[in-house]
This record gives sequence, structure tokens and C-alpha cells, in this order.
Amino acid sequence: MREGDAPAIRLKGVSKRFGLGNLALADIDLEIAKGEFVFLTGPSGSGKSTLLRLLFCAERPTSGEISVDEMNIGTLSGAQIPLLRRKIGVIFQDFKLLNNYTVFENVALALEVIGLRPDQVKKRVKQVIEGVGLGTKLNRKAVQLSGGEQQRVAIARAVVNRPPIILADEPTGNLDNKRTEEVMLLMEELNARGATILFATHDERLYQNTHRRVVRLEDGKLEAAQ
Amino acid sequence: MIISISLRRALADIRQHFPTQIMTTMVVSLSLLILTFFCLFSINLQHFVERFGNELGVVVFLKQGIPQERIPILYQKITGLKGVEAVKYVSPEEAFKRLQSYLKDEREVLEGVDPRFLPPSFEIQVNRAVFNLARIKQVAGEIEQWPEVSKVQYGREWIDRLEAFSGIVRKIVAISGLLLMLTAAFVVANTIKLTVYARQEELEILRLVGATNSFIQGPFLIEAFLQGLAGSGIALSIVFGTYAYLEKMLGASSMFKNFELSFLPWQYVAAIISSSVILCVMGTALAMRRFLRL
Repeated sequence: MREGDAPAIRLKGVSKRFGLGNLALADIDLEIAKGEFVFLTGPSGSGKSTLLRLLFCAERPTSGEISVDEMNIGTLSGAQIPLLRRKIGVIFQDFKLLNNYTVFENVALALEVIGLRPDQVKKRVKQVIEGVGLGTKLNRKAVQLSGGEQQRVAIARAVVNRPPIILADEPTGNLDNKRTEEVMLLMEELNARGATILFATHDERLYQNTHRRVVRLEDGKLEAAQ
Repeated sequence: MIISISLRRALADIRQHFPTQIMTTMVVSLSLLILTFFCLFSINLQHFVERFGNELGVVVFLKQGIPQERIPILYQKITGLKGVEAVKYVSPEEAFKRLQSYLKDEREVLEGVDPRFLPPSFEIQVNRAVFNLARIKQVAGEIEQWPEVSKVQYGREWIDRLEAFSGIVRKIVAISGLLLMLTAAFVVANTIKLTVYARQEELEILRLVGATNSFIQGPFLIEAFLQGLAGSGIALSIVFGTYAYLEKMLGASSMFKNFELSFLPWQYVAAIISSSVILCVMGTALAMRRFLRL
């Protein structure tokens, strides 16, 4: 991170408790620089998904401060949340596609919400879908695609509006080795183009021989970074 | 911009979820159908009661030997009463002629009888809008007090019974109408809630990609508006078809020739359509509220 540059993501003393139950996240301090690719690891139930959900405002922290792309999440009003989400592309393990919609319609959704003209939507969606290697399947329904293809559609949707930050929550969890490799290559490519990526996974093979920063969550607490 | 996008998305959604849309519209129209039929029935029942009451004319019998010059004065007095539409003077001779024609072949019993033996009278026709049953009773009592009048006939017993009957009908109509309206509102609101819940994943994804609440709600509200419009339209068409059929049947039957059916006044039609639309739109907005938080 260059001196004076604000981090893409910053968490300061963040805790999250659900109701009166267990503490899902405890006093998390984390900074991710713009353009950085960080792996967030830890066993199931360690709080990885909760941390990501806090970043795109699907949950609110119990305490602490969060800023994403210089937006302070704590002071965001309900009407500003969509603006934050347009700066973040989110990819899930279960793809979260609309099964009855075509590949084109699923990806176009992210551009329609920002009010892009139909001709611009068409042009950009085609470009991105070709980029993830599904150019020939534009008009297929999502439900007719394989798991790997569905994940590529989800990635296309997450990046089509060119968000500066990408959050990936176990995106390879449902994929075989070959498809996992394809997804990782796509993520590397997106990072090379300047996107900040926070990649949550419990699959050690993905970050074993990497030069990327790896942060580990254990029972809601952040352990020393590699 | 947002309206055109919402319209486009609503039309796409209708195509996408066509069976669900049809199912919701059918539930709306069936719920309203019962209510609309009930309105048609209650309106015709009320009309029947009113018409029956109004057909009971008021006859004012004058005392025998009343001076002829008093007749125009009394005529003016009666005509001046509020709600009196027409007054006809029936002289003793006219009354005698009527009796003769009523007796037909047995008219010889009147041979040798003085044609002036019947009392003169006034037949009063009342304005249906102004004269309700209670007013007839009141006016008859008033006229009875005049010194020239010997008797006022207006079917007191019938009017008392009709009054009691129409009072009960009004209460039944009000209570049952309210219950039916609540039932329709409950069924429609819950059906809409279920259809919104069935599309909960879609709402979640839209929020995820940064859609504003108005972008998410727009197409749903347009769909709800169309469902309300189509649902009430179908219900009213079915009721109108049934009304037209019944009217034709009654017209052809000699027994019910004088029984006039009326369709719902336009105010009722407008109220049914607008409450259906409001119910669907409000139901959708309320059902979506929980998905639009945070």
C-alpha cells in the first residue's frame, strides 16, 4: 500500500454477536490495501462468511468500525447501502443465480440496477460472458449449466459493473479440481486488472504455495497473518 | 427511467412466473366474486323492498258532502307536501264507475243505488327517493288530522312489516358484507405474501447486486396492480354475465315479469375495482417490507 493511500477494506475492533448467543467475530482488526489479493481461511464456523457479510452490509457489526472503499459502513443510511454494494462484487459457493433466467439475464441484472441503457448492457454483458468462456451459452437458462459454468456466470455477474472490490465466499467449494483451477485463474486475472480481492476458503491447497497474504480466523478471532 | 425499467421487468416477470400470476389472479377474482355476488343480491333485495313499499299508494278519503270549493284547496295542500309526486282526485261518480267495472257481470247489484254514495278521495303517488316507509306513515298521520278527511289508507300493517324486514335486511347486509370483505382481504393478502415469499431468493439477489428498494419493488407493485385489476375485472364480468342471464330468464317468465333486476351501481363497481387494486398493491408492499430491510 502506498503511503497516504486509504485501504480498500478496513476493520477496526469489529465484533459481531447474534442475539444473546456466541460471539461470531471478536475484536477484528484488518486492513486490505487497494489491489491486494488476500486469502481468508479457517475451519467451517470460524466466522469467514460473517466477516464477508459485514463488508457488504448484509449484517451490521455489534461493535467496531468498518470502512469499504472509503465508505464508513457504520454511518451508512438504508438508501446508501445499494451504492456500497455496487462497489463490491460478491461470489458465493452456491452461486446465487436465478435459475429461470438465462445467462445473459443473470449477468445483466447487475447493470440494470445501475440504470445503464439496454444497448450498453447488451454490449458489456456479452463482453464479460465471453471473457469467462461462456460466449456460446448466452441464452441458456442457468439451471441448464454445469456447476463450473454456473460459478463462471456468478463471477461474470460480480465483475460486470467493474467493482473495485471482490468478495468471494468459498467460490470453489462445489467444484472439482479442474473447475477450481479455472475459477482461480479468473480471480488472478481480475486482480491483475486492479480489483481488490478477499477470498474466503477452507481449502488449504488454494493458498499453500501462494505469495498472497493469508489471514486466518479461528473461533471468530483473527490469528497472525502469514 | 425507473418506471420504464420497472414496466419492462414486470412484463418479463409475468412471462417468467406465468402460472403463479394466474393462480394469484384467480384467487383474487374468486374472493371478490363471492363479495360481488353478495353486493348484487343485497342491492336487488333492497330495491325489491323499496319498490314494494312504494307501490303501496296512499288514498285519502274525504267526508261525504264536503263543499266542492274545498276540493282544489285540499288538492293544493296535498300537492304542496314534500315528496308528493302526483295527486289524482277521484270523485264519487268516478269511484262508482270503478266499482261497476270491478263488479263486471254482477254490476246489477248497484242498480238503483245513488252514484254519489261513495266518498270522494285523493290518490297520492309519492316520490320514491324522498318517501321512505317512515315518511309515508308520518304524512298519513298528518293528513288524517285535517277536518275534511275521514280516513287515510296506506297499508299500515304492510308498511310496519316491511319496515321491520328492511331493517333486518340492512343489518344482515352490513354484517355479512363486512365479514366477506375481511375474508377476501385475508385470502388475497396471504396469497400475495406466499407468492412474494416464493420469490425471496430473487429479492435477495437483487439486493446483493445493489438494487435500490424502488427498483426491487417497482415490478412487484406493477404486477400486483395488474392482478388486482384483472381479478376484479374477471369477478365483475362473471357477475354481469350471470345478471344478464337472470334478467333474460325473468323477462321470459310470466311469473316474474314485473320483477326488475338491477346491476351494481357504478359506485359499487368503482369501489370493487379500486379496493381490489389497493388490496393487492398494499399486500405486496407489506409482504416485501421484511426483505427490503438492511
